[in-house]
Amino acid sequence: MKKRILSAALAAMMTAAMLVGCGSSSSSSESTEAATQTEESTEAETSSEAAEESSDYTIESGVLMVGMEIGYPPMEYFDEDGATPIGYDVEVATALAEVLGLELEIVDTAWDGIFAGVTTDKYDCIISCVSYTEDRDNNYLLSSPYVANAPVIVVPNDSEIADIMDLEGMAVAVQMETTADYLIQEYIENGLDTDLRQYEKVINAFDEIKAGRVDAVCTDSVVASYYLGDEATNYKTVWQSDEKEPIVICMKQGNEALAEKINEGMAELFENGTMAELAVKYFGTEDVIEGLAEGFGVE
Amino acid sequence: MIEKIIRWMPQLLNGARTTIIITIISVSIGLVLAVFLALGKMSRHKILSAPCSAYIFFFRGTPLLMQIYFIYFGLPQLNPALTIRSAFVAALIAYVLNTAAYLAENIRAGIQSIDKGQFEAAKALGLTYGQTMRLVIIPQTVRRLIPPVGNEFIMVLKDVSLVAIIGLTDLTKVTRAISSSSATALVYIPAMILYLIITAFFTFIFNKLENKYSVYQ
Repeated sequence: MKKRILSAALAAMMTAAMLVGCGSSSSSSESTEAATQTEESTEAETSSEAAEESSDYTIESGVLMVGMEIGYPPMEYFDEDGATPIGYDVEVATALAEVLGLELEIVDTAWDGIFAGVTTDKYDCIISCVSYTEDRDNNYLLSSPYVANAPVIVVPNDSEIADIMDLEGMAVAVQMETTADYLIQEYIENGLDTDLRQYEKVINAFDEIKAGRVDAVCTDSVVASYYLGDEATNYKTVWQSDEKEPIVICMKQGNEALAEKINEGMAELFENGTMAELAVKYFGTEDVIEGLAEGFGVE
Repeated sequence: MIEKIIRWMPQLLNGARTTIIITIISVSIGLVLAVFLALGKMSRHKILSAPCSAYIFFFRGTPLLMQIYFIYFGLPQLNPALTIRSAFVAALIAYVLNTAAYLAENIRAGIQSIDKGQFEAAKALGLTYGQTMRLVIIPQTVRRLIPPVGNEFIMVLKDVSLVAIIGLTDLTKVTRAISSSSATALVYIPAMILYLIITAFFTFIFNKLENKYSVYQ
């Protein structure tokens, strides 16, 4: 009997503990929700209404929340302290928030699932080297391109690979789910026999080529220039896709109010020379933004 | 939904095969290594016990994720001669080294759970330490070890999902790839069911083994 009372008491204590636990966690999540200004309740309403409300909310609350996969130098990566986000997109986002009179909050998130985050209002937009694709255009609201990119192939200096077709029988490393990944997959479907190795972080693709386990890396030109800048003596870019990939800002479908604001802000950044300045600072050339100002209505 | 699952199945099974192969090989080799580590750690000689203890401390005390990263990406940059060409081999090495540390502690606990009287009786019969271990203690330990080894096996089975970071394609990576290419998170349902089926199968095997070895008890 004593035992039974003891176990009953234990069970009661555990239940109480669980209830307390749940209580505190839900209240803390409520407070973070309030702090991050996302309105879950609006999600239940029609999508356009929800989008309008959440974007109005952003502009009223004065905080622009930007989703980024921080780990893609020189576009977005952590400073050596491991906590301060730096890079091209970070500077674009900072400048954009500034001209819009908003406070910037960067949300670090895995690339895998970054798009789901904008749909569920974890942040207002993604500025994370998002390439334009038709699929993305159908599912999300995309800005006009703010920088142009092209997949390139990087090989060690002594490599004989000079063209994408030379990858026949070679091993090539890419970051999974990126346009470089899709590009190689497309070539494989069309008969190119190459060993495609997919990694979660672009740095791992470069680790692979440094270790000599792959023959080439296929990646965005904007990223390659960074790594080449670092080890320019050992690697070279041998092939560049003819099709330039526009890099865009990605917003939730139907969030026209925010899109308009972002459009205005980007136009100002092109006009006042900030974009040209950043292009030179990060990529050493204004080529990457050539002709893009028009997309934001700047002559 | 059903036809989607059927379409995904070949890829999922392919991933599951990698997961199972890595798990079985790692735990098998890890078990052998673990016996030596456990005996070494229990040794009265510092020269044996200290390195074994340090090994176990290191592999239990650092994240498996980092161990995999380090073995595959770190070693080549430390010294090019340490480059492991195949990601599969690198993964096996990481899992063997890691699981051996955990299994060694299980084995040590198993051996130390044997009544002290057994050691004394063996000594009285004139058996050496080696004979005592081989003929008396270890056979009795085996049955007691099956549940914790089965437990470790299932842990490794799920930890294999980490191999995606070095470019290998296991069940979890296949699932994520399908999820992002077909824009649905529902693929996690058949994937989790596959994990459960694999776990159920090996749980069954370990139960059988346990029954087989419990004839004397």
